[in-house]
Amino acid sequence: MSLEGFEVAVVGAGPAGSAAAITLAREGVQVLLVERGTFPGSKNVFGGRIYSYALKKLLGDSWKDAPVERFVRKEGITFMTSDNAFSVEFESKDAEGSFTAKRAKFDKWLAEEAEKAGASLITESRVDDLIMDGSRVRGIVAGQDKIPTDAVIACDGTTTGLARRAGLTSMLEPNQISMGVKDVIELPSEKIEERLGLEPGQGAAHVFIGACSGGLRGGGFLYTNQDSLALGMVVGGDDVSSHKTQSYSFMEKLRQHPKVQRFIKGGKTVEYDAHMIPEAGPKMLSRPYTDGMLVAGDAAGHLLNNGYTFRGVDMAIQAGVAAAQTVLEARKKKDYSANSLKTFERKLHEDPALKDMYTFHRVPAYLRNRRLYTVYPELVCSAAEAVYRVDGTGKIKISKQLRLQAKGRVSIFTIIRDLIGGARTF
Amino acid sequence: MSTEESLTLDKRLALVGFSKDAEPFIVVDTDKCNHCESKPCLYICPAEVYAWKDKLNYNTEGCMETGACLIVCHKIGAGAISWKYPSGGKGVAFKLG
Ligand SMILES: Cc1cc2nc3c(=O)[nH]c(=O)nc-3n(C[C@H](O)[C@H](O)[C@H](O)COP(=O)(O)OP(=O)(O)OC[C@H]3O[C@@H](n4cnc5c(N)ncnc54)[C@H](O)[C@@H]3O)c2cc1C
Ligand code: SF4
Repeated sequence: MSLEGFEVAVVGAGPAGSAAAITLAREGVQVLLVERGTFPGSKNVFGGRIYSYALKKLLGDSWKDAPVERFVRKEGITFMTSDNAFSVEFESKDAEGSFTAKRAKFDKWLAEEAEKAGASLITESRVDDLIMDGSRVRGIVAGQDKIPTDAVIACDGTTTGLARRAGLTSMLEPNQISMGVKDVIELPSEKIEERLGLEPGQGAAHVFIGACSGGLRGGGFLYTNQDSLALGMVVGGDDVSSHKTQSYSFMEKLRQHPKVQRFIKGGKTVEYDAHMIPEAGPKMLSRPYTDGMLVAGDAAGHLLNNGYTFRGVDMAIQAGVAAAQTVLEARKKKDYSANSLKTFERKLHEDPALKDMYTFHRVPAYLRNRRLYTVYPELVCSAAEAVYRVDGTGKIKISKQLRLQAKGRVSIFTIIRDLIGGARTF
Repeated sequence: MSTEESLTLDKRLALVGFSKDAEPFIVVDTDKCNHCESKPCLYICPAEVYAWKDKLNYNTEGCMETGACLIVCHKIGAGAISWKYPSGGKGVAFKLG
């Protein structure tokens, strides 16, 4: 493939990059999509679940061709101590609101959609640098190839290589990242449905808070694929480092819990995955654009993880589209300066989906409160235990029981403060 | 393999596809590590690329390319790690993800 004549280079064929490439190629822009993996998705890991709205908007009816594992109809949350669990479940009426997927299939499919729209995809190509002309980005450098373009859209994910190169951020702080590890465990689909209480074909998403993270900022997740469970842990980068506990050890902590054992029993682990998560939100970059370049997706902190909903893929798609639209406007004006590209930021703030990142900007700080992973899960479990146990010794009212259980663990004032903090944050 | 038995990291890593990169993509100035008190690389890495035995040893063959070691080494450790992704097409390849 000749690497001449491209107007825009999109770096990274994850959801952000492919969405940007689709949007540009449809308008007849000559776009090159560059991916370092052997195929799009081969380097990418997530929990599991994609909110459908972004795909519907991007692809119209062809979103139905997406490699869906299961549509999520059951949401669950479990507060756990080392040997006990208190779970809450919710059954969603929305039949197609979100679905589980495997990234090796999903990202590949979305990049193929970009090719169908007219984008040129090259794989096994690592972008090493930007062509710089003073502060103006004029293309990309991949190995021996120097590829000049009018604009670059950096969708290179959480390590933010190109944004750092362009001076839009310095290295992230350990408390701005989390480490995610995951086992994929094969299990017959009937077993999955039986254990999670699902109708055939339906899926579940479950989060675990408490003992599994050993008191550190973090939690567990479980998603149902068609014939496997995706079970994983996310732990804070600062916490793991200062507590001298290996990040992967939490995987075992989660697996060995009786509640989790009941889900995975007899299953066969077929893959182990790991990936970093940027948790700082869009303020991670001083701005998501510079002369000749825009940054979208994980690379720009376009992600919202509030503990019970994890939105990275949908946000990445929305942000990729917004970046591409900004480039389309700049192309009309023939002006790719930072001043021309700055409308990207307004688009991000005004996008009905992306604006959630700004509305919930306090979430990462709130989630650093250790009590969320220690005292409260214990409190919930021990109160439940006391409420449900009938052993003839006499019962007290639930409200009193809660106060009794809190005693010595946490003061009522602290609980109230945390509750108010939570109400203001979420 | 039953899930009741606990899985070691070695068993987990055996489930991941890798294609070795001849070019070293992680280089550690291990002299610096001798003065590193916290050694956060040992804990953040999900693949035990870093190990301590009298001095820092590292083996990039199981590297899952998260990039987190670079951050903790420079922000908490002694700043010894130089890191980039492996060459195009090399390194880890997830079949599921
Ligand atoms: C454990 C875990 C659980 C998660 N769970 C969920 C979930 O359930 N739902 C959800 O929506 N999100 C989830 N996320 C977040 C989600 O995975 C990300 O937000 C999303 O993948 C971001 O998309 P992206 O396109 O910005 O980046 P990525 O998907 O990371 O894509 C970046 C691409 O760029 C390529 N690349 C990088 N550097 C270069 C280079 N120099 N040259 C060429 N190519 C390059 C990479 O190989 C990759 O393909 C989870 C993440 C983790 C780690
Ligand atoms: S954190 Fe960095 S400096 Fe410290 S031991 Fe690890 S590699 Fe060496």
